[in-house]
Amino acid sequence: MPFASRDIDDRKLVRMTAAALAAIAAWFALRPWLAPAWREPGSPQLYLTGLAGALLLLVPAAFALSKRGGRSRDPRASFNAHVVCALAGAVLIAVHSGGFLRRPPALLLAAIVVLAALGIWARLAGARRMAATFASKAGTFAAPDAPTRARLRQLIVEKTALLKMLDKDAGEGTFSVTLPHLLRQPRLALAYRRLAREESRLLGTRAAVGAAQAWWRPLHMALAWIFVLGVAIHVLTVTFFAGYVAGGGPITWWHLAAWGTGW
Amino acid sequence: MSARLALMIDLERCTGCKSCEAACKQEHRLGPGEYRTKVVWSGGAEPPSLAFLTLACQHCERPACQRACPVNPKAIAKDPVSGVVSVLEDRCTGCGECVIACPYSAMGYDADGHHAVKCDLCRERRAEGLTTACASVCPTRAIGFGRRDELLARATLEGRTPRDNDAFLLGPATIYLERLAPQDAGRRPAAAEGASIEAKAEFPYRVERKNAEADRVVPGGCNICFNCCSTKFHFRGEELVKITGNDDDPLLRGRVCPKSQLTLQLYRSPHRLLFPQKRVGARGEGRFERISWQQALDEIAEKLKQTRKQHGAEALALFIGTRTGMLDYLGYTRLFAQLWGTPNHEGTDPFCASGKNVAYELTQGRIGSGNSYTPEDIGSAQLYLYLGDNQAETRPVYFGMVNDWRLRNRAKMVVVDPRLTVTASKADRWLAIRPGTDMALALAMCQHILVNNLHDARFCAEWAVGFERWRDFILARGYTPEWAEPVTGIAAAEIRRLAEEVAAADGCVIFASRGVNQHTNGTQTNRALMFLAAITGNWGRRGGAFFNMSHGTPIAPNAPKGRRPEISRPRVRRSPTGWTEAMTRGKPYPIKALIACNNPLAQWPGQDAAREAFSALELLVHIELFANETSAYADYVLPAATGIEKGEIGRGNDDRRIVWIDKMIEPPGEAKADGWIWIELGRRLGMGDVLKEDYKDPARFWDEVCIDNELMRGVTQQRLHSVPYRWVRQPVASESAPEIDTLYLAGTSAAGAPPGHRFPTPSGKLEFWTEAMEAKFAALGLSALPEFYAERESLLDLPWVELLDSDADAGVLSPFCRPDTAAARGRIVPPSADGPGARLRAKGFDTELVTGRPPAAHFHSLTHYFWQAQEMWPDLYCQIHPDKAARLGIADGERVRVETAHGAIEAVAWLHAGIRPDAVFVPIGWGERQPYHPWRSVNFLTDKSQRDPVSDQTNLKALLCRVSRAA
Repeated sequence: MPFASRDIDDRKLVRMTAAALAAIAAWFALRPWLAPAWREPGSPQLYLTGLAGALLLLVPAAFALSKRGGRSRDPRASFNAHVVCALAGAVLIAVHSGGFLRRPPALLLAAIVVLAALGIWARLAGARRMAATFASKAGTFAAPDAPTRARLRQLIVEKTALLKMLDKDAGEGTFSVTLPHLLRQPRLALAYRRLAREESRLLGTRAAVGAAQAWWRPLHMALAWIFVLGVAIHVLTVTFFAGYVAGGGPITWWHLAAWGTGW
Repeated sequence: MSARLALMIDLERCTGCKSCEAACKQEHRLGPGEYRTKVVWSGGAEPPSLAFLTLACQHCERPACQRACPVNPKAIAKDPVSGVVSVLEDRCTGCGECVIACPYSAMGYDADGHHAVKCDLCRERRAEGLTTACASVCPTRAIGFGRRDELLARATLEGRTPRDNDAFLLGPATIYLERLAPQDAGRRPAAAEGASIEAKAEFPYRVERKNAEADRVVPGGCNICFNCCSTKFHFRGEELVKITGNDDDPLLRGRVCPKSQLTLQLYRSPHRLLFPQKRVGARGEGRFERISWQQALDEIAEKLKQTRKQHGAEALALFIGTRTGMLDYLGYTRLFAQLWGTPNHEGTDPFCASGKNVAYELTQGRIGSGNSYTPEDIGSAQLYLYLGDNQAETRPVYFGMVNDWRLRNRAKMVVVDPRLTVTASKADRWLAIRPGTDMALALAMCQHILVNNLHDARFCAEWAVGFERWRDFILARGYTPEWAEPVTGIAAAEIRRLAEEVAAADGCVIFASRGVNQHTNGTQTNRALMFLAAITGNWGRRGGAFFNMSHGTPIAPNAPKGRRPEISRPRVRRSPTGWTEAMTRGKPYPIKALIACNNPLAQWPGQDAAREAFSALELLVHIELFANETSAYADYVLPAATGIEKGEIGRGNDDRRIVWIDKMIEPPGEAKADGWIWIELGRRLGMGDVLKEDYKDPARFWDEVCIDNELMRGVTQQRLHSVPYRWVRQPVASESAPEIDTLYLAGTSAAGAPPGHRFPTPSGKLEFWTEAMEAKFAALGLSALPEFYAERESLLDLPWVELLDSDADAGVLSPFCRPDTAAARGRIVPPSADGPGARLRAKGFDTELVTGRPPAAHFHSLTHYFWQAQEMWPDLYCQIHPDKAARLGIADGERVRVETAHGAIEAVAWLHAGIRPDAVFVPIGWGERQPYHPWRSVNFLTDKSQRDPVSDQTNLKALLCRVSRAA
C-alpha cells in the first residue's frame, strides 16, 4: 500500500490480535493437561514467562517516552514495535497468570485487555471518526464571545512571557512542552502546559468531537501508566514480599526478601 | 513584502460545485473519506440563502495542530518563509491529536494509512511553478492562490472585504472574501453533508505520487454534460492518472467542474459491464449468463429478423440516450434506423429540450442561440435573467464565466425559479415563481412593454414577421401584470420592474432551460420568452440573447435513398414514453423489440407504465456501461465503451463548440464502442455497405459521413486537431473559414441561408406568426398565438391542455416533427373548480412537486457509479420549506415519503427556506440498483401522459403530491 508501507494496516492488526487471542485461548484450554510447573505463576517457567512479558510491555512505555524525548528517528517504527510487543507481552502475561484470574495481579491482565481493546478500536473505528472530523465542527468560523477572546489574548501574552524562561529560542505559536522540558524545568514546563491546556479548552476543540474520539487516547495513556505502576508494584511485592504473596505456601520464584509471611 | 502563501476564496464567486474537492483528491490521490479540502453547504432562513464554504487548512501563524502533535521533533512542520504547515507523514503515528486540536476541523486523516493528512498548498505543484490543484480547476475562479499580501492588495483594489476568520487568534492565512451583501450562513442540511463510502479506491487513488506521475498529456474533452469542457488526460505510460481542465483553451482556461475529473473513476470502475450477457432468469430478476459477442450479435440479429417478419420493421424501436454520445445518437443509430426502416428512433430530447427546439425552429429557423461565451458577447450584457435555468449547477463553468462578468461589469442578475438554486443564490433578486407559469410571466412582461412602448419598434418592424398580429393578441387578451400576479405568485409591481429592466438594459441575456422546457406549455413558453427578447432588441446582437441550452449538434447523415426501406407507418410518438401502449397493447401498432441505451427504467416518466411495457417486449437489448434497472429487464446486455475508450464528440453545448475526444485507451474487459456494436449488428442485417467496417474508426466516420453540411463542413479532424484544445465553434463552411462569435448580426446572412437572410427562417426574419405556422398549430387543434395555459395538476385552477388522443390512438401527423410522427391533438381547457387539479387537491395532494438536476457533481445516473460523487451527494433528497416541514412534523435529514397520483418514493428531507412554501423539489438520477446509495427513481412520481402536444415534451416540473414522514 502507498503511504502505509510501514504502517500496520487494519487487516494485519486484526490478524495479529486474533493470533494473540487464539494463543491465550489455546493456553487456557490446554492448561488442565499441562505439567504443574506450567500452571503455577511462581514456577521458574512461568516466572520467566512473566518477566519476558513485562519486558515486552515496557516497549510501549519506551515508545511513549522516546516519541516525546526528541531523539526518535522513526516514530512509526517505534509505534509498530509498541503494537507488536504489547500483543506478545499480553500473551505472555496471560500465560504467566497461570489462570489465576481472581487474584489481585489479574487486574494487570484486565488492564492489558482494556489497553489493547482501546488501541484496536482507535485503529479500526476511531480512525474513521478521525477522518470524518474534517469540516465537521459547526462553529468553525463563529467568533467566541468577547471575554473568551480576551482571555485567549491574555493567555498568549502569558505563554510568551513564560516561554522566554523555558525555551528562549522557541516561538509561542509553534511551541509545545516536550519531555526534555519537563525533565529540565518541570515547574515552568508544567505551568506552561497548564496555560496551553486552558487555551485548548477555550478553543473547545476536544469538546467539539465525540467523547470516544476525544478521550480514548488520554484514557489509553492513563491506563498504560497505571499498568506500568501496577507492574512495578507486582515486581516489588513478589521480590520483597514473597512471603505475603506465597500466603504460607512455598516460594518458588527468585526473590530478595520474604517479608509478610505472617500477614 | 512577506512571502507568506495563501488561498483566497471568494464567497461571491463560489457555487459549491466541489470541483476543488475532486481536483484535490486527484492531485493527492486521496481515497474515500480522506480530505484536504471540502466544500460545506449551508442555508439561511431570513432571508433564504445558500452559502458555500471551501474549507482547507488555514496555515495559521500559530498552528494549533502543530502544537498538539506529541511527537518530538514534530510530525507537523511550518515553513518559516512561506508559512505553509504540512504533515511529515513518515513521522506521524496517527494519534489524531492534531485533528482534534484544529478548531477549523481542517486537518484530514487517512483512516487506512493511519496518519494525518492536510493541505500543503500543493507542495509538488508549487515546486513546478504551478498554482494549487483546487485553484487550477475552479469553474468560477473563486479560489485564488499566491502571496498573501498580493492577494489582499488585489482584493482591496476590487473593493472586496476580507472576512475576519481569526476567531481563535491563530492567525489563519486563508483569505475569505465576503459576499457583496453578507448573509447569515445558517444551518448545514444533513443531505448536503456527504457520506462515507465503503469503496475500494481504484488506481490511481491511494497510490504513491511517484507511481502516478504523468509522462504525457493528451487534450480532449468531457463527454458528460452540456458545458462540454475541454480537458487534458494525463498518462503514465498507458495508464490514465489524472484528468484536468485544458489550460491551453483560450475560452475555458482550464476550468472544469467535478464531473470531468470524476470520470477518472469511470474507466477502472469495478461496476463496469465487462462482457455480453444473456438473460437466464425472469425479466427484472437480473440473472444472466456470459456469452460471446458473436453469439450475442448473431442471436439479436436473428430475433430482429423474426420481429420484422412478423410485425414489420417499425416494430423495432431504438432509444438512444445521450450517454452513448452524439456520434452514436446522431450518426450510427440514425443510419441504422434508416437502413432498417423504423421511424421509432429517439433520444432524450422529448424529456429535456424538444419544446425549445420546436420554438427555436419556428422563430429563428434553427435550434440554438447565435451568441457565445466571450467577453464581447455574453460578457458584455448589463442584465442576466434566468428562468428555470440553474446554470450554476448544470453548466458550472459557463456560469462561472457569467458570474465573473457580472461582478466585473457590475451587471444585474435576476433568477426566476420556484426554488433558491445555486444560480439564484448569486442573483440580485430571486423571484419564486409558481411552477409551470413562466409563460404567464413572459406574456405579462411583453404586455407591459408593449403597452408602454418600451419595445424596440424598429427591430420589430424590420425583423419580426407577424409582430402586429402577435401584439394585438397579447393586448386583446389582457395579459397584464395584475393578471399574472396571482397566477405566478410574483407581484405585479415586480413584473413591471423586471419588464422595464429588460427593455432598458443595453444587452440582456435571457437564459431559460429545463424549468421552462419540461412542461406541457414548453414550446409556447419558450416562444413567449423569445419574443420578449426580440421585442427588446436582444436578438442578433452582442450582449443580448435568448439562450436556452443547448445548441444541439448539427449533424444528420442519411443513408442513400435506395438503401432506405419505405416506412409505411409513422413514428408512434415523438416521446419514447408514448411508445409504451405500442409495447403493452400493440396500439396503434406493435413495438415488439427495443434496443435501449442509458437507463429508461429510471429515466422515462411514468415508471410503472414503462416497466409494464418492457415486460411485454419480445426482445430487449440493453447497451450500457453499468448494470442498472433496464439491464435487469433485458434479454441481452451488451457492455459499452465511453469517452476516451472509443473516441467521440462532446455534448451539444451552449456555445456551438464541437469538442473532439480521441480514443486514448482500450475499454475494460470485452466492452466495445457503441459504433462498433451498431456496425457489427448492421453487418449481420445486410447494412455493411453503408455502416462500413472502416467507420468503426470514429474519426473516419466523422470526416466521411457526419459533417457533410454547410454548417459543419469545416469541422474536420484536421481542424479539430490543429488546436491544442480540440474544439471548433460551428458554423464553419470550410476548413479555412473563420469561426463566428456572434451569429445573426445586422448586415449578415445566416450560414446556409440565402443571401440577405439574416435569420435562417423561410422569411429570413424572426417569425412570430405566419399563416403557415398557424396552420401547423391548427392541425393539432391549437393556435400559434400564445394563449396561456399551465399544468393539469396545480394548486390553482388554471387553464390546462388536454390531449384528445391517447398513446394507443393513431392521432394525427405532427407538423413539427421529422420523420413522420404521430401526435395527439390538444385542447386548452378553461379553469374549473372541478378540474383534475381540484380533484387531486381534494384527495390531499396539496403540494407542487418539482423535479430537476441535483448539484454539479451529478449528471443523471452516470455519476452515481463514481464513488466520490456519491461521497459528495449520497442520498436522494427532498427539499421542503421549513414551515411546511414543521407542520408535517418532519425534521431535517429524516426520511420522507413523497406520493403523487402516479406513484410514491422515499427520500431524505432537506429543510430549505429557499423554496416556495407549497412546493417540494426531488432531483433525478438515483436508481434502485446503484451500488452505493440506491433509491427509487423520481420518475415513479411523474406521469407519462402529461405532454406538450406540439413538442411531445413531458411535464416533469409541476405535479401535485403529498409529503409525509416515512413509516
